[in-house]
Formats: sequence, structure tokens, C-alpha cells
Amino acid sequence: MAENQEPRVGVFICHCGTNIAGSLSVEEVKDYAMTLPGVIVADEYQYMCSTPGQNKIMDAIKEHNLNGIVVAACSPRLHEPTFRTATEEGGLNKFRFEMANIRDQNSWVHMHDWDGATAKAKDQVRIAVAKATLLEDLQPKSVPVEHAAMVVGAGVGGMQAALDLANAGIKTYLIEKDPTIGGRMSQLDKTFPTLDCSQCILTPKMVDAGRHPNIIMKTFTEVENVEGYIGNFEITLRKKARGTRDPSEMIAAGIEGSGCNGCGDCAEVCPVIKPNPFEMGMAPRKAIYIYHPQVMPLQYTIDFESCVKCGLCAEACGPEKNAIDLNMVDELEKVKVGCVILATGYDLIPIEEKNEWGYKRHENVITGLEFERLICASGPTGGHLIRPSDGATPMKVGFVLCAGSRDNTGGVAKPYCSRFCCMYSLKHAHQIMEKIPGAVPYIFYMDIRSFGKMYEEFYYRIQHEGAKFIRGRVAEILEDPDTKNLIVKTEDTLLGRPVNVECNMVVLAAAIQPKPDAEPIRQMFGISKSQDGWYLEAHPKLNPCGTTTAGIFLAGVCQGPKDIPDTVAQAEGAASAASIPIHQGEVQLEPYFAQCMEDLCAGCGMCVPQCPYGALSLIEKDGRQVMTVTEAKCKGCGTCGGFCPGGAIRMQHFTSQQIVAQIDAFLLNPLGGEE
Amino acid sequence: MSDGEWKPKIIAIICNWCSYAGADLAGGARIQYPPDVRAIRVMCTGRVDPLFILKAFQDGADGVLVSGCHFGDCHYLEGNYKCAKRMFLLKNVLKNIGLNDNRLRMTFVSASEGAKWGMVMEDVVKTVTELGPSPLAGKKN
Amino acid sequence: MSNNMEHSYAFFLGCIAPNRYPGCEASAIKTSAKLGIELLPLKGASCCPAPGAFGAVDLRVWYAMAARNICLAEEMGKDIALICNGCYKSIYEVNEKLKENDELRDGANEVLAEADMEFKGSIDVWHLIELYKDEKICGVDKVRDSVVRPLSGVKVAPHYGCHLLKPKTERHFGDTENPMWFEALIDALGCESVQYKNKMQCCGAGGGVRGYDILHSLDITNEKMINMSEVGADAITEFCPFCQLQFDRGQIEIQENFGQTYNIPVLHYNELLGLAQGMSPQDLALDLHAIDCNPFLEKIQ
Repeated sequence: MAENQEPRVGVFICHCGTNIAGSLSVEEVKDYAMTLPGVIVADEYQYMCSTPGQNKIMDAIKEHNLNGIVVAACSPRLHEPTFRTATEEGGLNKFRFEMANIRDQNSWVHMHDWDGATAKAKDQVRIAVAKATLLEDLQPKSVPVEHAAMVVGAGVGGMQAALDLANAGIKTYLIEKDPTIGGRMSQLDKTFPTLDCSQCILTPKMVDAGRHPNIIMKTFTEVENVEGYIGNFEITLRKKARGTRDPSEMIAAGIEGSGCNGCGDCAEVCPVIKPNPFEMGMAPRKAIYIYHPQVMPLQYTIDFESCVKCGLCAEACGPEKNAIDLNMVDELEKVKVGCVILATGYDLIPIEEKNEWGYKRHENVITGLEFERLICASGPTGGHLIRPSDGATPMKVGFVLCAGSRDNTGGVAKPYCSRFCCMYSLKHAHQIMEKIPGAVPYIFYMDIRSFGKMYEEFYYRIQHEGAKFIRGRVAEILEDPDTKNLIVKTEDTLLGRPVNVECNMVVLAAAIQPKPDAEPIRQMFGISKSQDGWYLEAHPKLNPCGTTTAGIFLAGVCQGPKDIPDTVAQAEGAASAASIPIHQGEVQLEPYFAQCMEDLCAGCGMCVPQCPYGALSLIEKDGRQVMTVTEAKCKGCGTCGGFCPGGAIRMQHFTSQQIVAQIDAFLLNPLGGEE
Repeated sequence: MSDGEWKPKIIAIICNWCSYAGADLAGGARIQYPPDVRAIRVMCTGRVDPLFILKAFQDGADGVLVSGCHFGDCHYLEGNYKCAKRMFLLKNVLKNIGLNDNRLRMTFVSASEGAKWGMVMEDVVKTVTELGPSPLAGKKN
Repeated sequence: MSNNMEHSYAFFLGCIAPNRYPGCEASAIKTSAKLGIELLPLKGASCCPAPGAFGAVDLRVWYAMAARNICLAEEMGKDIALICNGCYKSIYEVNEKLKENDELRDGANEVLAEADMEFKGSIDVWHLIELYKDEKICGVDKVRDSVVRPLSGVKVAPHYGCHLLKPKTERHFGDTENPMWFEALIDALGCESVQYKNKMQCCGAGGGVRGYDILHSLDITNEKMINMSEVGADAITEFCPFCQLQFDRGQIEIQENFGQTYNIPVLHYNELLGLAQGMSPQDLALDLHAIDCNPFLEKIQ
């Protein structure tokens, strides 16, 4: 279709069942559309997005020789691609299409104002038609996609995503900020409802991830900077100074010696002792350390903040291995990938700030993660559940569910449900009854959410094994100064009275929240967060693994609380979605680019710093300076276009002429089109 | 629509990634608000040329709303900051030409803030209604 | 009248202190003077009014009576200082609420108009203990320096009471679960403050409970007495005469009704401060206490 023709626009009003037709007069809007300048045909249909609906568009283009299409229906964020395709199949360039959002931004929000909604719909159609008469042919731009991916975070979600990508033949960088991969699942003892040993089922994945030819595992590494866009992300990684080198790093650095083999001779002689975060601070580690014997990679790390540079470790390591370098510094490295999956996991909230439960004041009040380490055979007590105050075996253990979750009181408390705490508390109750004959767990709950496969059956089993359930929110936990027992003050809502339950130990099922570096990471990658603070998915139902930033996907708890099965499922989904553009080798970008209208450009250069992506620059042309746009870098935001004092920058598909036409179309006419 | 009672003409220019999505979310949640605002979609509030706003007032708009992402969350990194700077400047211009600068408003509504969008709509309509018709309404150039 | 000390306040007395424990009033004035805080008489003040008793029956009366007391201080041009948690709840809360809420203020002023008074919201309200605690006005060190007779060798159990710190969202005292600032003030006198189980629990008197169902209130007091005696407290201290009444007379009532005896004397912080600053038990009217204070006084080294 040639440009600069007389506008011949077709307008299609959708009923969307009763979603639109139930709140405004589709008939009136259609009749009104016919009166608008440039409109040749106006039609309406029950469901424009359906096949017959789309066929109406295609047929009308041919029958009436149309050069612009307007559909008044739902949101372009939902169906713009659908109707653009229909427009294209009708023979028009697909960018000669404009939508009027008369559902999400009209009929759904003005359900009790028939006249107001109808008048607004008429104005919305008039605005859309005004733009449609000025649309032009545009070609989407194809960019190549780097045949590589990155996964940020190597917990079970990150590892699964990386394994799937790697098995699909895609070179994948697996980035982990801790010295080892494994994440939270490594810290767990058993997993519900099967009671599998967590580390046992995880280590095969860890080993696979560590030695997969397509996985480039980078531990003790963080994302420093992100540039680029889908298909072409340029990511700067900060490989933190570990203080040791593995065999391949020795060769790469050209240093004599076989490198770190995880023997631990260094840790034996290190004089500095610090708490081990893997053991939730309940066991020591040295300044040169590994978190636990099954770390991947099996390589020691120096905590330079605590290291006193005595050199004893290097001595113990010896000249044969020569793995230690106390003067190591961080290294920066740039890699190029096509897609990224974020799997940054979670932390517990600082539950000591919910002062009434006495965490950190009362010795025998612990969190769920601390319980996992205490009950784990490879943990600080060899799997013997003991009380922190005196090492005695607790016989009455209280479990406070929803500790800081489903809580609207502000501060550190979270309004959402942390999803897996009911199940792990039931698991803990089971473990106590199993390991300590005669021990009784008291579960203080609001609801028991046992939603998954075999979860309800597990709950039934725990009830039958003898756990006590008291339904009520725990108001306060007091400590007996002599015995260090806890008095849990709560109410039993089923009995309708307050109760005090004396326990030897209390486990708080603390709420979870995103990790502290989740915020800088999301800002680097340019994705949004939901109102509850977790990363925002593209669509909660139809696109839970993607984000609105093309090429960035989500896996695991970073997108919202979920258990291991759901994390692994989402990781597989994210890997599949991420592999699509990579395997296709190219991706289409919307051509909303900036263009310099050179005869209007004064070459002042003031637009250049306006662009966040550095897409604009000044060049010499015909003896003067003019601006030029590097389309590969231009994202079409229009910041330069809104700025140029000479009006010399034209934003494709959002030209000033089109926007002003929309403004005029609304304001230079009476509301609703009539006097 | 010809019941004689004056209704304000309010135009909104909203960004695709945050405010437009937030407005859609309000729709999904069936949050109800007055119908006096018509929205124009742009990719980023950075696109908003001050001349658009002045043209809108010249055309007789009683109120203009620009809504984008929260600072730090702009899909294109900085467009909302640049727009905010222009809005501050524009408010001074409006004061100088005798228009009440409360007729121009910039808000920040994220894609997950449907309820907030509803409140913004209520508030903008209320503010503009209380200010009454723009002194430029009904004048042709 | 005024000594023109840097920190000068209108002293709201309340009811229980002047009527039952006049030593609290005397010591407050004298000890504060030594700490650079001037307490001036607030003439014509009435009951605060008692928040539990009045607030439970008619809020409009509560607002109007409290506002009247505030007006008296506004006319003096002085902030109010007081020594009772209950009075604090009435006078501080009503002051804040009437400053913020036009409707409540207009309602109170309608009543006050009949007495030719008007609430203007021009002053602030302070508990004397927070003035002692505030580094800008006094501070723990200054309290310690004013001690001439350290009260060493005795264990004193702190009781914070309820209305000064709570409700947390309407107060500015920080942690309500395990604050330690009162202990710091007690230790500054030379005593040893002791921790006991559930120290933040209510004394049982407030909210109209002592008036309406005394046995129930004593049940609550008894729990506190058990916990305090378990850690060997030689005395209880608080900064609320109503808590003081509940613990002091309450121990007699507990003995009569439940048959339990504790004999732990109860002193308001100002009484303890007075002793530490050298005031005599007579000046502090300690002989008016229900529970004999002599064993405590004799134990002080």
C-alpha cells in the first residue's frame, strides 16, 4: 500500500460478549464511527479476536480498499499482536493498525454509567481513527540472537534452568554469588512430602551442572553491569577475589602448581574463626573455608574481610599445589548472551523485629532454617535436635506458623502467604516425633495450607502420628528465666479461649522475602517488581516465566513464594521460553525508532545526552553537523523526540503529528461527539 | 449527553509499560472511577513534548494528566525523570500565562498498582472539576 | 513564681498522687528542680479524666474534660508535665487528637465555650519520666550525678505500665516488648534493676477493670507479684500512681481475698529519686503507703 493516500479507515467495535456490550452502546459507537472523517466502513461483532472477527478485518480491507484499521475492544497489551497479524493477512502493513481500549479502560471501569461510558467510547474511537489516518508502513527490525544464555542464581531453580538450556545445546553461564552452587535446598534436611534427603537428590544435579560441557559455572561471581537488549545482552561479571585458584585457573594464570583440590590443609591452620552462614551461624568456619563437604566447585574461598594475611594457609598448601594467592583482586569479565534467566531465591525476614516472639532474646526460639540445620545429620549437632540454651533434648516443641506472613501490621511483616511453611512445619513435627520418642510437637496455626500433590495426605499422616494442633495467632512468647522454657501465649480459637503452652523450644516459620541484592539486580536488568516485592512476571496466568523485558525470564522463589516442585517446573518453563529466540537465531524488534529529520536538525547535539542508551550521535554531513540514530541501540522510548527544541526528531509510530492529531481529535470536538 | 451540566475534558498521556498496564489492571479488577479522562498511549513519558501539553490546553483541555513509571523503574531507564523535569518547567509556564497549574498533573503508577490508578482517576477528576472549566475552553485559537 | 529555669512546665497532678501518695507530688517538684526542670502549679485542674472509667462511658466527656485541663496550660503558655500513665493517656492523646481532627476539636470547643474556654492546640504534653530520659533536657547521666545517697544493695523490679508506651502506633517510645530505658534510670540511682517474667504485663487496674471487677484485676496483679517475688525484688517501682495503688493497696486486697502475702513495697520513680537525692522518708510521706517501706529502707546500704 503506498503512503500519502487519502485515508480509508475501517473501524471494528467488539462486544467482547457482555464485557463491553453490557456497559455501553456498541451500536451507537459504530454508528458514530461512520460519521468520522476518513472512515469508510464501521462494523461490530461479538468477539473480534475470534476467527470470524479477524476475517471481518481481512475481508473489509480487500472489499473496501482500506489503508488503516481501528479495533475498539480490549487492551492493545493483550490483542495488538492478534489484530496486527489479521491486518497483515488482509494485505496491509501490520503497523497500519490502532486500537481503542474500550474495555479495560472503559466498560470495565464505568459499569454503572451507560451514557458516560458510551460517550467516552466514541471519543476513544475518534482519537484512534485520527491516529490511524496518519499511520505508515513500517518494517520490523530483525536482530541476531547470541547463541548463549545466562542464569543468575544457582539454587535448584537456577541449576535446573541451566541444565535444560545446556541440554538443548545452548552455552549457558551459570552465575552464583556464593562460593558454591546449591542454594537453599542444600541447607534442607528432608523435603516434603516424600521425606527425601534434600542434599541426596540435589547433588546429582549439582554434579551435572558442574561438569556439563555447555555450562560455564562461575561461582563467587556477581553481575556488575548489564547493557544491550534481547539477543544481545552485554553483561559485565565481577569475579570476586577468592584467594585460591583451581587447576584450570592455575594454567590460565601461568602459575606453577596443581591448584586447589579441596584438601582442607589450609583451613586446619587458619587462626581466624567466623560463623558459617550455611549453618545459619550455628557452626564455625575459618577465614579460608568451604561451606560443607559437598560444595561445588570443591574449592576453598578466603573471606578477605576476616583474613589477617598471616600466610599460614599458603604455607600449609605448599609449593606443589600453590593454590593460594593472598593478593588476589576482583576481576571483571564481559560476556554476551541472548537471554537471561533470574533465579535469585529468598531470605527469611529479620524475625527478631517481631519482638513479641523473642527471637534472639530467648535462646530456645529458633527459625525454620535453623531447625533444618539442627536436625540434619550433616549439620552442627550431627542431627541431634538440642536446645541452644543447655544442649538438652526438647520434648515439647512449639511451631509458630505464619510468623510474619499474612500480617498487615507493617514493618518487617508481609501481607502475603509464604506458601511452604505449613508443609515444612508438618515435616518438622514428623521429624521430631520420629527422632525423639515421646516428644510432642505443638503446631500453632491459622490455616494448614497443604495444597500440592500428596500434601493433604501428608497432613493427615502427621495428625495421626500425634502432633497437637492449636488454631490461633501467637500473641507473645515469654521465657522462664530458670529453665529457659518458653511460654507460648496464644488463643485456641476452636475452644474459644486463651491458652499458655509451655514448650522446651519454639520454631518460628518465619516469612520469606527477596534477597537484598534482588533490587540492584532487577534494576540492572530493567524488570519490574510486583506490589509484594517479588519480581513481576509478564502475566500471572498466561506468562508466569517471562517478564515485560524481552529476553529476561524468571525461575523460582524470586518471582514469588513456591516450593521445590513448582520452582523446578517454572525453571523448566523459563528455559524453554528462553531457548526459543536463541534457537530461532533472530528476533524481531518493534520499529519504533527515532529518526533525524536532517533538514530541521540544527546539529546542536542537546538530544545526545537525553538518550539512556547512547543511540544518538552527531556526524558531519554536507559540511555541517547533524544527529544520527544507531537503530541497533534505539529502543523507541521517545525521550529524545519529546525534547528536541526544533522538532527535528521523528518517532516512528508515535510521531508528533499523530499524537497532536489524537489530542486535537479529542479536545476540538464536544465530549462524546455531540453538542 | 446534552443534560446541560458541565463535564470536564481531561486528557491523559500514559506510558505503555507502567501506567497503561496499571490502568488495565484496574480494569481487570473492575475498580470503578469517573469516565471523564481519555488516555493516549505512548511508550514512555519521556516522549511527552511540552508542546503536546500546551496544545492540549490551547485546544481547551480542562486538565492534563501525565502518568509514568516510578523513579528507578522506567522501562527505558530515565525517561520518567526527563519528563518530570519538563513537567516542573511547564507548571511554571502555566502559572505565568494565568492557568492554575493544578490543571497539569504528573503521577507515577506501576503495572501492579491498579487500585492506585483508580484513586488517581478519582482525584484528578475531583481536582479539575473543582477548578471549573479552563479559561481557554471554547475559544478557537 | 517562676524561677525561669530553662525547662519550665505546667505540672498536672492528677488525682491519685495528691490524694493518696502526696510524696509523689512533693518529690516530683523537688527532684525535678535539682535536675533543672521547673514544675509550676496548674491551677484549677480537674481529674484528667480517668481514661478507662470515663472513656468507656462517654468519649465526648473525656475529650471535653481533658481539653479543659489542656486549656489551663495553654493560658499559662506552658507545656504540661505529668507523673501518671493514665493522665498521660488522657491528656497527651486528647491533645494530639484534637490538634489533628477538626470534628473532634469543634465538638470539644462547643462544650468549652460554655466555660469561655477554647482549645487552641498550642502546647505539648510530656511525662516527667520522658523528660528525665531525654538527653536534651536531662538524661541518665544528669540523674546519676544528682544522687547524693546511692540506693545500693537493693533489687528493684521495674514496671512500665501500659499507657505511656502503647498503643505503639500512637506513641514515640520505640520497643514495647522489651524496653530497657527505665532500668537505666533505676540503675542510675544506685539500685540493681531486675528482670522478671512478663515484665510488660499490665498491673490490672486500668481500663475501668479495678472499678468494675476488682477480683479480676487482682488476679492480674497477683501474676505480676508472683513473677517479681520469684526474682527476689526488694521493691517495685513505676511511674504511674494508679499502678502504684494497684500494687500497694492491691497486696492488702490480695492477702484478704487470696491469702497470699508478698510485702514488697511499691515506690513511684520520683519517690525513689527523692530518696536518692537525700529527701527523708517523712518528706516523701512513705508512711502513707499500705505496704511498709521500712524493710526496703533498712536494706539500703
